[in-house]
Amino acid sequence: MSEGTNKPAEELHEELERVWGNKPGWGAASAVNHTTVGLRFLITGLGFFLVGGLLAMLVRTQLALPEQDIIGPELYNQLFTMHGTVMMFLFAIPVLEGAAMYLIPKMIGTRDLVFPRLSALGYYCYLFGGLIILSSLVLQIAPDAGWFMYTPLSNAEFSPGKGPDFWLIGITFVEISAISAGVELVVSILRTRANGMALNKMPIFCWYILAMALMIIFGFPPLILGSILLELERAAGWVFFDVVGGGDPLLWQHLFWLFGHPEVYIIFLPAAGIVSTLIPVFAQRPLVGYRWIVLAIIVMGFISFGLWVHHMFTVGIPQLALAFFSIASMLVAIPTAIQIFAWLATLWTGKVVFRLPMLWILGFLIVFVAGGLTGVMLALVPFNWQVHDTHFVVAHMHYVLVGGMLFPLVAGFYYWLPHVSGRMPSDTLGRWGFWLFFGGFNMTFLLMHLTGLLGMPRRVYTYDAEMGWGWLNLLSSVGGFIMAIGVAVIILDITLHFRFGRKAKSNPWNADTLEWATPMPASAYNFASLPDIDTRHPMWEHPNLPETIEQGHHGLSEVMYERRDIFGSDAITGKVREVIHLPTNSWLPLQTALMIAVVCISLLVKVYPLALVASLGVLFFALRWGWHNGAHPVASPWRDDDPVDPPLHSRTFDGPGLWGMVVSLMANGTLYVSLLFGWFYLWTAAPQWSVPEEAPISLWPLLASGLALSAAVLIYRFAVTQLRNGSDAHLQKMLWIAASLGALHVGLLAWVLIAAPLKPSDLAHDAVLSVMLYYLLLHAGLATIFTVLQALRVRIGYVSLRLPYEPVVVQPFWIYTLGVFWMSFAAFVLLPMVWEVG
Amino acid sequence: MWALGIPLLLSGCDGPMSALQPAGPSAQASAWLWWGMFSAFTLVLLVVVLLWLHAMRRDPGQVTDREAQRVQNRWVVGGGLILPILSITVILAFGIPLGQRMLPLPLDEGEPVRINVTAHQWWWEVSYPDTGIVLKDELHIPAGVPVDLHLTSSDVVHSFWVPRLGGKMDMFPGRTNILRLEADYPGTFHGSCTEFCGKGHAHMQFTVQAHEPADYQAWLKQRQTDE
Amino acid sequence: MSVWSPLHPAQLVFGLVIWSGWFVLLYGGLSVACEFAPPPDKRGAVTWLNGVMLFCGAILAVLLIWLARRCWNAAPAHDDGDGSGRFIARIAAAAYLISALAAFALTLPSVILPPCV
Repeated sequence: MSEGTNKPAEELHEELERVWGNKPGWGAASAVNHTTVGLRFLITGLGFFLVGGLLAMLVRTQLALPEQDIIGPELYNQLFTMHGTVMMFLFAIPVLEGAAMYLIPKMIGTRDLVFPRLSALGYYCYLFGGLIILSSLVLQIAPDAGWFMYTPLSNAEFSPGKGPDFWLIGITFVEISAISAGVELVVSILRTRANGMALNKMPIFCWYILAMALMIIFGFPPLILGSILLELERAAGWVFFDVVGGGDPLLWQHLFWLFGHPEVYIIFLPAAGIVSTLIPVFAQRPLVGYRWIVLAIIVMGFISFGLWVHHMFTVGIPQLALAFFSIASMLVAIPTAIQIFAWLATLWTGKVVFRLPMLWILGFLIVFVAGGLTGVMLALVPFNWQVHDTHFVVAHMHYVLVGGMLFPLVAGFYYWLPHVSGRMPSDTLGRWGFWLFFGGFNMTFLLMHLTGLLGMPRRVYTYDAEMGWGWLNLLSSVGGFIMAIGVAVIILDITLHFRFGRKAKSNPWNADTLEWATPMPASAYNFASLPDIDTRHPMWEHPNLPETIEQGHHGLSEVMYERRDIFGSDAITGKVREVIHLPTNSWLPLQTALMIAVVCISLLVKVYPLALVASLGVLFFALRWGWHNGAHPVASPWRDDDPVDPPLHSRTFDGPGLWGMVVSLMANGTLYVSLLFGWFYLWTAAPQWSVPEEAPISLWPLLASGLALSAAVLIYRFAVTQLRNGSDAHLQKMLWIAASLGALHVGLLAWVLIAAPLKPSDLAHDAVLSVMLYYLLLHAGLATIFTVLQALRVRIGYVSLRLPYEPVVVQPFWIYTLGVFWMSFAAFVLLPMVWEVG
Repeated sequence: MWALGIPLLLSGCDGPMSALQPAGPSAQASAWLWWGMFSAFTLVLLVVVLLWLHAMRRDPGQVTDREAQRVQNRWVVGGGLILPILSITVILAFGIPLGQRMLPLPLDEGEPVRINVTAHQWWWEVSYPDTGIVLKDELHIPAGVPVDLHLTSSDVVHSFWVPRLGGKMDMFPGRTNILRLEADYPGTFHGSCTEFCGKGHAHMQFTVQAHEPADYQAWLKQRQTDE
Repeated sequence: MSVWSPLHPAQLVFGLVIWSGWFVLLYGGLSVACEFAPPPDKRGAVTWLNGVMLFCGAILAVLLIWLARRCWNAAPAHDDGDGSGRFIARIAAAAYLISALAAFALTLPSVILPPCV
C-alpha cells in the first residue's frame, strides 16, 4: 500500500490540514477529531478530579478530630457520596477513555477513530452529565445515599429529595459516553490498524485498551439497567427493589456490583497498559513476555466478572457460594502477578534510564502491590466478615485505585507531555511533586488499615474519643493535606512546562511505538502518509519513519475530493481491505447531546411532556446523523473514479459500521440479559415474590405479533442475501414489506401492552414484565424506522447494488430484535405457564 | 514509611472495638488470619520491591534473546504462577475451615441461645423469644456458649457488628440472617452499625453484656418478672 | 478461517467463556438447588449436591485440558507469514489451561463446606 506521492511535504501538510482540521473559533465545538476530543476528555477529567479531591479534603477535615461538628451528617453524607461518584464516574473512567482515544489511532498508525462523531457525542454526554451531577452539589441537594446507592435507603420513601435522581439520571447520561468510547475503541483497534500490523504486532497498550473497551461493553449495561429500574421505582412507583410487592433490595446490589467490580479492572487495565508501554522504553529493550501479558490481560478481563459478590460477603449468602467468589477473587492474583513479574524481567534484562515517569512507575509498584495483597486478604471470607465496611477497606481500595490507576496515569502524563506540547517536563519540580504525593498518600492510607482493624466503620461523619481512633485520623488528615500539596505541585509543574519547558527533540524518550512518528504537537491528521508495519517496534527498527511519513512516501498520501480517508484492515492480519471515508466536523453530536440533556433535566424536574418531545428530538438528530452517511452528498456520493483496489468501505458488505452495530448489540444484549437475570432472580429469591392470579398477557395476539416480526426479518434477510448474490431487484419493495410487517408487529405488541391489566406499582412481576414489553416495543419500532429510511435511500439512490453497505448494517438489529422477542416469549410467557402446570 | 508503620501497627492494637483484641472464637480466628497474612504479605511486598529496585539498578550487559527468554521463564513462572497459586492454596486451606466453624451449624448437643435483633433507623430492637423481654440498644448474652442472633431490619439495610466477638452480618427488610457469636468471658463489648443507613448511621451503636451463664439465667428471670 | 480452528483468535476467549458459563451455572444452580431441594444441614459437606459439583468440575477441567492440548499441538512450529497463527494457538492453549484450573478450583471448597448454610 505504499504508492507514495511526489508532492512537497509542506503542500501535502496544507492539504491534509484543510481537510482534517477543526473549524476556527466557536466552530471548534463541531470538532470530531480524536486528538481534540481526547484532550478535551483529559482536561475535563482533570477538572472533575480537583472537585473530587476538594470533597475528600473536606471529609478529612471533618474526621481529623473525634466528635467534631464542623460538617453535619447531612452535608457529610453528600460529600462522601459525591467524592466516590465524581472520582469513579467523572474522573477515572473518562480520563482513561480520553487517553485511549488520543493514543490509539496514533499507535496503530491511522488518522482518526473509526466513528469520529461518536467520540464527540461521548464527550458532550460526559460533560453535560457531569455538570448535571455537580449542579446538585451547588444546589445543596446532592445525592447522599452513598456512591453505591443501596436500596431501600435510596428509594423514594427514605430519600424523598432529588439527590438520587440526580445520581441515577446523571450517571446514566455519562455512561452513554463510556459505551460509545467502548464501541469505537473496539472497532478501531480491530479494523483500522496500519497495513500488516497483525494481532501479534500490536503495541501491548492496544491489547489493554481492547480488553478495557470490551469490558465496558459487558460491564456497564447492568448498572444502566439498574439505574433505569431504580429511577422507575422512585419516579413512577414501580416495584423492583421493594420487598412488599415482590421486589428485593439484593437485586440492586447484584446489578450494581456486576458493574462495580469489573469497573475496577476497567480502570486498572489501561493504567497497566501505560506501565507496560513505559517500562520497555525506559529499559531500552522489548517487553519480556509479550505473550504472557496478552494472556494475563485476557484472563483478567474474564475473571474480574466473577468477583462481584466479594462486595457482598456479609449479605447472608451461603458460605459455599461465597467461596466461589472468594476463589475467583484470589485467582485474579495470578494474571496480576504474571504482569508484575514480566515487568520485573524486562527491567532485569534492560539497562534502565531512571527518568521522572519511572519514579511514578516505582510508586505504582509499591502502592499497587500493597493494595493487591490486602485485596487477597479481603477475598478470604472469614477475614472479610471482620473488616468489611470498615476503614480497612477504604485503605485497601485507595491503594488499589490510586496505586493502580493514578500513579501510572501521572507517569503517562509526564511521558506523553512532549507529544502534546512539544516540550519536556521539569525533573526537579516533578520529583518534589512525586515525593509529596507518595509520602502524603502512605501517611493517609497506610495508617487507615489500622484504623479499620481497630473497628472504625466506613461512612461515619464522626466518632467517639474513647474509641481510640483520634490520633490515627489526625495523621491521616495531615497526610491527606500533604497529598493535596503534592497535586498542586504537579499541576504547577505541568502548567509551567507549557511555557518554560525545553523544546523536545523528535522521539525524546527513544520509544518504540508509532505515536512518536507524528509531528509534535500532533497534527490533526497524525500521519501525512500511512506506513506498512511489520514489527512490534517500528520506531526502533525504522528510526527514519517520521521523515518518510511526512514526505508522503507511504499510503493514502493523496487527498481525494476533500474526504477524510483512512485504511480499513483485516482484524487478524492487519492487511488493508478498504479505504474508510470518515465524516468531517459536525454539529450533530452537540445537538444530539443537548437534546439528551433536555430529556434528563425534564425528567429531573418531572416535566414529562417536555421529556417526550425532547426524546423525539434525540431521535430526529440521531436519524439525521445516520442519514448523512455512505453515498449521501455530505459523505461520499458515487463517483465513476471511486477507488477499486482497495474499494471505499461504503461500497462493500463488511464495513466498520457492521462491526460497530454488532459490538453495540453486545452491550444491548448484556442489558437484556441483566433484565432476564433480574426476572429469574426475583422469581427464585425475592422474599415476597408473588404472581398475579391470571396471566396478564393475552397469548394469541402476542403470538401473532411474533409471527409478523418473524416474517419481517425473513423478508429483510432475503433482501440482503439477494444483494450479496448480486441482485438488487425488488430491493425497495422488499424493504417496504419488511417495514410494514414490522409496523404490524409494533401495533399488535402495543395493543397487547395496553390491553394487559398490568399493575407495575403493586407487583414486581408486572413491573419487570412491563419493562420487557417496552424494551421489545422500542426495538421493533427502531428496526421499522431504520427500514423505512433504507427503503427511502434505495429510492433516492444512496443504496443499491453498487452501494450495498447499509442494509447489511441494519440486518443484525433485526435479528437481535427477533431473538429478544422469542427469548422473552419463552422466559416471560411460556416458563410461567409451564410453572403453573408443574 | 514502612519502618515507621510496622511498630505503630504492633503497638496500640487494643480498643473498645478492636478486631485485634478478640474476646470470642470467631474474632480470634479472624485475628489469627490477619496476623498470619500480614506477616507473610509484608515479606512478599518487601521482596518484590527489593527485587524491582535491584533490577532497575543492575547493569545486565548484553542480553541475548535466549537469555532474556530464560529470565522470563524464571520470573514469570516462579513469581507469576507458582507464588500466587501456592499462596492462594495455603490461605484457603487455613481460611475455609476457619470460616466453616463460624457458621450457625446445628450443635452436637443442645440448641444455641436465640436472640432476635431488628434494626431500625437508627436503633436496635433486641427481643428474647418466649420471654417477652424487649431491649433497646443492648444485648445480654451468656458467656462461653454459642448465641444465634436472628437479624432483620424494619426499614433500610443495616449491618450488625461486634468486632471483639466476631464478623458482621447485614440486616435486610424481609429477610432474616443468622449470625453466631460467642464471648469467651463476661464483659461489655461494643457494637455498631456498619452498613451506611442514613443520617444517624454514625450514632447507631449498642453494647453486648456477656454474663456468667448462672448470672445470665438470673438476669433473664429478673427481667421476665419485671415485664 | 472458522472460529473453531485452533488458530482463530476466538480461541483466545473460548476457554474463559466456558469458564464464565460454568461459574454462572454453579452459582445459579446452587442457589436454585438450595431453594427447592436443600440437603439437610446435619449432613455437612457430604451431600449429593457437593458430589455433583465436584464431578462436573472435574469433567469440565478434563475437557478444557483437552482443548488446550489441541491448540498447543496445532501451533505451527515456526512463525508462519505474519506469525499470528502460532501466537494465537500458544496463548489460547494457556488460556484453556488456566480455565481448566479455575473451573476445578471453584469446586474445591465443596469438599469442606455445607452447600446451603
